[in-house]
Amino acid sequence: MMDRRRFLKWVGKGILSSSGVWLGTRSIAWGKSAFDYALEGQDLIAAKRFAEARDVLMEAVRLDPTSDWAHGLLGRAYHGLNQNAEAVEAFRKAVRLNPADTYSRMMIEIITQKPINKLKKPPQPLSPLEKKAKAEEEAMLGNLSSEGGLTYQVKRVVIDPGHGGFDSGAVGPTGLKEKDVALDLAQRVNQEIAKTGKIKSFLTRTDDYYIPLSDRTVIANQYQADLFVSIHINANENRKAQGCETYFCSETASSKEAARVAAFENAVLQYDEPFKKRPGYIDIEQILFHFERRLYWKESGKFAGTFQNHFQQALPFKSRGVHSANFFVLRRAKMPSILLETGFISNHAEESELKKVSVRDKIAAAVVRGIFHGRA
Amino acid sequence: MDVHNLIFQGADYHYKGKLDEAISKFQAAVKMDPQNEYAHNQLGILYAKKERFDAALSEFLKVTQIDERNTYALLWLGILYMKQGNLDQGFARFQRIIEIDPTNADAYYFMGAIYNFRHNTARGIDYLKKARDADSDEPDTHYRLAQAFHNLDMTANAHLEYQRSLVLKPSYTKAINGIGWIYYNRGDRSAAIAEWKKILKINPKDRDAIFNLAKAYNDLAWEAKERGQTKEAISYWKKTLGVDPKNKAALSYLKKYLGREP
Repeated sequence: MMDRRRFLKWVGKGILSSSGVWLGTRSIAWGKSAFDYALEGQDLIAAKRFAEARDVLMEAVRLDPTSDWAHGLLGRAYHGLNQNAEAVEAFRKAVRLNPADTYSRMMIEIITQKPINKLKKPPQPLSPLEKKAKAEEEAMLGNLSSEGGLTYQVKRVVIDPGHGGFDSGAVGPTGLKEKDVALDLAQRVNQEIAKTGKIKSFLTRTDDYYIPLSDRTVIANQYQADLFVSIHINANENRKAQGCETYFCSETASSKEAARVAAFENAVLQYDEPFKKRPGYIDIEQILFHFERRLYWKESGKFAGTFQNHFQQALPFKSRGVHSANFFVLRRAKMPSILLETGFISNHAEESELKKVSVRDKIAAAVVRGIFHGRA
Repeated sequence: MDVHNLIFQGADYHYKGKLDEAISKFQAAVKMDPQNEYAHNQLGILYAKKERFDAALSEFLKVTQIDERNTYALLWLGILYMKQGNLDQGFARFQRIIEIDPTNADAYYFMGAIYNFRHNTARGIDYLKKARDADSDEPDTHYRLAQAFHNLDMTANAHLEYQRSLVLKPSYTKAINGIGWIYYNRGDRSAAIAEWKKILKINPKDRDAIFNLAKAYNDLAWEAKERGQTKEAISYWKKTLGVDPKNKAALSYLKKYLGREP
């Protein structure tokens, strides 16, 4: 059965039309052929004898189920009897057999503008996977009914320690490496979250090895994460630069500085191809995709604000605020995602703060609070 | 010419992709019969296809003024509001459709999709199951339902729904991608890799499949390297480059362990 949404897409594709010509060959058997029955049905419809037309047309489609013409006529007979669900079913069969059947298409659209009763399908025996799925669903039914509302929910978070391996990231005046601080902070956050037992957290790397930017969002997608948090330490040629800031993804950078940071973190070839729009076609899934992405970016902005507030309250660093830029590592994530720059490793004083376990604990605690703050 | 002929001609032009001709027929039809819901709905769709979204919205609003139970117009209003990024207005239209027609698969689908976007997957499942039960022949419904189950670690249900979407649309690469992750997270990496390779046969440029395979080979390489099996690790990094020739991790580690540019 072709449903309305698929039909809308099909309409959107602008399939060529013809007048629905009989394409079957006339039977040379002794009895009446499908064509004979269809012809008789057509005459009965013209005489408004719809019940009789339905009966002979049912015989026509039984004899030749491939006749879009007979199915279309059967649809008209049902429509004449006000049996709209059956009419739509027959018209859909006609359209499926002959996508160019303009009349049947139009009738489906006209009838389905308003609610109609649905035809019931007979139940089928369950496959082994269906039985397993049913048992799984019964076992988890309690969890399924426990949530509500349109508030964004976070049940899984992926923590991404930036850089790693041969890519040390920024290096401080006394040799402290961004990759090591980021990993340590991520592990602290991961442990703190695990202690709560409320949500699941995953790390993109657990040791000192390099993973490319593309792998990081792949991991977030792998775990169906609800939030992606990438941890970095900032650096600047100006050693006086200081403070912590939070970034989220948007199509344009919020400032030149945000663009600079994004360019630094994005030091990788970008794979995205521009979306190729097809003229005269409405792609509903594309509309949903853009809608979803906008929601995630909006939500990312909210999370970024929350994180930055917690940093401002808890850390011994100046708050540099929230910024947006087009980060590769954030853009490919299929969930809200933020990038934290927790201090300037290039600043002598902040490098020394970042070496302290107590400061790292404070940063980790602020990150955990940021994650939980956004959780319903 | 009577209105029915205009409408039939407009519909025929529409299906032939002659949008301007179709618009002119339906415009003539609504001039002759301003209460004709079908003609207004068709104009709405045609304007949307021409990217005249405000005009499209206006046509669907006219239909709901003629009959507020026209679920087709309500559905498109919901879709257009979503296109504008207006969650509340879109959501309200889909809710209204369900009040009018509790078996409307499309409205349940969009509600389920919205709950999925909010990562309220339990609610998403609730609505998407209703969409599926009202119409089981829509691959996108099965796919989004699978995603929701997957998010809740209900992998048997996720696998089943991914498979159902593939029965209806064998080229549904996102569903194959999801099945790959079920295998991968279960520890069956070769099965996962086989799934993602299937995607590349359908679309050699599929970025999800490319990056997933690259990640899988990099993981295998790193594990082999950790076991001291450098030769094996090298063979996996080479495989990474086979799918993702500019993968920075594979390039760097190969350079390091081969002692030269790969």
